[in-house]
Amino acid sequence: METLANLGDGFLIALTWQNLLLALMGCFLGTVMGALPGLGPSNGVAILIPLAFTLGLGATPSLILLTSVYYGAMYGGRISSILLNIPGDEPAMMTCLDGHPMAKKGMAGEALSLSGIASFVGAFLATWGLIALAPQLVKIALLFGPAEYFALFALAFMTLGGVSSTNQAKSAFAAALGLGLAMIGVDTQTGVPRFTFGEVHLYDGLDFLVAIVGLFALSEVFIFLENRHGGSDATSGKLKIGRLTPPMSMIKETTPTMLRTSFLGFIAGVLPGAGASLGSFISYSMEKRLVDKDNTFGTGDPRGVAAPEAGNNAAAGGALVPMLALGVPGSGTTAVLLAVLLSLNITPGPLLFTQNPDVVWGLIAALFIANFMLLAMNIPMVGLFTRLLLIPPRVLMPIVAMVSFVGIYGISGSSFDLMVMIGFGIMGWVLRKLDVPLVPIILGTLLGNSMENNLRRAITIDNGNWWTLIDSPLSIALWAIALIGFVLPLIVGARVKARMHARRDEEGSIAD
Amino acid sequence: MINATRMALAALALGASSMTAMADGFTPENPECIAPANPGGGWDFTCRQVGKSLQDLGLLDKTMQVVNLAGGGGGVAFAEVVNKRGDDNDLIVAASSATATRLAQGAYPGNSMDQVRWLASIGADYGVIAVAADSDVTTLPQLLDNIKNDPTSTSVAGGSAVGGWDHLKVLIAANAYGIDDVRSVKYIAFDGGGEAVTQLLAGSVQAFTGDISEAKGFVDSGDIRVIAVLSPERLGGEFADMPTAKEQGVDAIGANWRGFYAPANMSDAAYDAWVGKISDLYASAEWKEIMAANGLAPLDLQGDAFQSFVSDSVAQIQSISKEIGIIK
Amino acid sequence: MSDRIFGIFGVLLAIGFAAAALTIEESFLSDAVGPKGFPLIIAVVLGLSSAVIALKPDPEPIWPALPRLVEVIAAIVVMILYAQLLPEIGFVFATAFAASYLSWRLGSAIIGAVLTGVGTSVGIYVIFHLVLGLSLARGPLGF
Repeated sequence: METLANLGDGFLIALTWQNLLLALMGCFLGTVMGALPGLGPSNGVAILIPLAFTLGLGATPSLILLTSVYYGAMYGGRISSILLNIPGDEPAMMTCLDGHPMAKKGMAGEALSLSGIASFVGAFLATWGLIALAPQLVKIALLFGPAEYFALFALAFMTLGGVSSTNQAKSAFAAALGLGLAMIGVDTQTGVPRFTFGEVHLYDGLDFLVAIVGLFALSEVFIFLENRHGGSDATSGKLKIGRLTPPMSMIKETTPTMLRTSFLGFIAGVLPGAGASLGSFISYSMEKRLVDKDNTFGTGDPRGVAAPEAGNNAAAGGALVPMLALGVPGSGTTAVLLAVLLSLNITPGPLLFTQNPDVVWGLIAALFIANFMLLAMNIPMVGLFTRLLLIPPRVLMPIVAMVSFVGIYGISGSSFDLMVMIGFGIMGWVLRKLDVPLVPIILGTLLGNSMENNLRRAITIDNGNWWTLIDSPLSIALWAIALIGFVLPLIVGARVKARMHARRDEEGSIAD
Repeated sequence: MINATRMALAALALGASSMTAMADGFTPENPECIAPANPGGGWDFTCRQVGKSLQDLGLLDKTMQVVNLAGGGGGVAFAEVVNKRGDDNDLIVAASSATATRLAQGAYPGNSMDQVRWLASIGADYGVIAVAADSDVTTLPQLLDNIKNDPTSTSVAGGSAVGGWDHLKVLIAANAYGIDDVRSVKYIAFDGGGEAVTQLLAGSVQAFTGDISEAKGFVDSGDIRVIAVLSPERLGGEFADMPTAKEQGVDAIGANWRGFYAPANMSDAAYDAWVGKISDLYASAEWKEIMAANGLAPLDLQGDAFQSFVSDSVAQIQSISKEIGIIK
Repeated sequence: MSDRIFGIFGVLLAIGFAAAALTIEESFLSDAVGPKGFPLIIAVVLGLSSAVIALKPDPEPIWPALPRLVEVIAAIVVMILYAQLLPEIGFVFATAFAASYLSWRLGSAIIGAVLTGVGTSVGIYVIFHLVLGLSLARGPLGF
């Protein structure tokens, strides 16, 4: 009851014209930045901080603006995933897998609006989770020591097989390649440079945004260049848009998926260091294991669109739990938000809920408002977004390429990163030809360092004893799930593979 | 619309500040601050916070543009300033103890601290050593005794890499207490102080080394207990209850300062103007409030005084690092 | 055949990676695992999966004919030039040039390509620099 009264106070704080206007502006800018490849939520928030300062906003309005940007970017990332097969930001990567095939089948409008609804469900449930459980949820985060984190990451990689490729060996290769790339840079544990070849630009490692934009966006440009004269069947020219809202039956079919993945994503978000990408990834791969009886995931299954979107938006909400209650950011974006809070003279931590209730409840009310605004804004705009597909590739692709370059250059200010990005573009093009999935590479670069660091922390804490990795009930449980996830596809693999080949023949020549 | 607002604010600031700005003799045309890291980190905030405050106080009539130039733990920005922007009068760069540590340990290949001009500090964050509230350990000597007797029994968590500033702080204390082989101290590196404190609460590690600002929230909530502040004397205000290492007989001091450097060939007029601006900022009541809010302790050094302070701290870090064998 | 070559390349990459890992200079201060352990584990996974790819290849992919390959390589060269020239001639010119080239090669008529290029460049400049306040490369003319 007290919670509801607090929430009511929060709404009183948040519902002023100024704040609503800020939320609207934040939602819009966030959606745009999320959709642009190269600008993700964390950079989006960081870029707008000076704006909040310049406008002289107080604590609550600043937070309302910046969290609207945060939620907006989580919504926006899916747009370019679905329409262009280029993830707008890293959590939207999984949405490419089924979202783009749906668009190719002429269901772009349905994919967009369905993913909008899934995003809403995920974010909405996560915000309630934040209200109801924030103080208790902290205890979940405290169950995870280094050994448990390592088991969680191992689970993510071991359940990877078959998520995005028919050839398990190629998935494993891609994951190892990504992990290997993550090793480049100064070792954060001991400070020695690794695989840097004396190049100072490599000391901080490769930025995964550079990897994503290169692998997805630039390789897409290369593929278009390669196929221009390859006949008139340049794919996106004759894409149909289809209906703009999903039929009731599709919503009904995907509802259980949304509910399950919201829960999973939320938990992943609550764990600092796991974050939204892991949330959307685990949501997708678990959902595939659970309901993909006919092996339709990856070919434009609406559930494959709903799962990662509900998962990553729930994770975005979940990531606010450790940030507010522990002062520990659960993702890159919350790290930036945390810094904003500090500069606004608010110290997040266990006492925030009692010391600054106005900030916390104002923020939570703002999350609700932003969420409804985004739903209201995104569904009618689906028609507008899908017009993107009507732009001929000869105009669209140069824009995509240049936006990618600018996104990277504007943030790091270095030509070196652009060169690395071009390198990733070439690599992405070759690997696509060879049917090597790109998603595991990104996951590897994204999670590699955390995975390694947690392994080393766990073993150092236990004085070199490797058995410490399976020393707690939680880590044993995580390893068990990981093993089942790894072995199961090997057993049923042959059967599935045969069926996949059959379908490939039916569908003919879809290049990627 | 955004730009209209910015312009309006800039115009307001301009009106209020034309007096002070003129008096300096040099006015940066396009003031620029390089934050040698991605948006959101400590350096980024040093730039943004100072840029904003300088404008609010009318010390700058234009918005200071913050440029993020990440890479090499600050090394890319350092090389850029030395090699390409050596005579830029409008440029300042955020720095901290981490910059000095890396310079001292030779982590910016081919660069040294005298290739730039050190401007001024804007405050310092003193180091703390803390344990969980339910720990048996209540004093620093007790913790160090535990480590002395059985180094494997105590894991110390911090937010910097091995050999980084958080690690050095605990080694300085161990060294001062007479632990001969400080390398035996078991240090676990986490990604930032927040994560390290969380693992202290989770019981994965036994002690925490970090900055006072990182620990503050958890001290207030009663989750962790600070057993030593690495400051010369007790801090004021709400931090007054925390014992210093020195009063427990461990002569160890560790401060994470924040400040700026500028290109080596900046004109003297420009250098003096920047030093003047940052001194005025430091002296203002607004900045005192920001320092209090962020747990920054006073460290009031400008111009030559700051230059020699940085050079001393580089030398000190160098000798500790040699002693413990991080560098040869 | 492509997969066999790719697999062998992967095995070599794994060996190279392991070799590079072994040369990592360990500092005096290290944790129980050290900076080499995890990269070596990765090298093993990389090598094993590459070997499997080489032994059990997928059907041959369709590689482009030489003219198309030249097309892709030319685009790569333009992009590299773009990355190098960006800090020299400034954002607006470099971008207009690169975008025009890409648009032309993707099938626009010359005038259309130039219009696309200039439009892209100015549009991005307005959105990213003027609205979002990102610092883009400044050329001699200030933009």
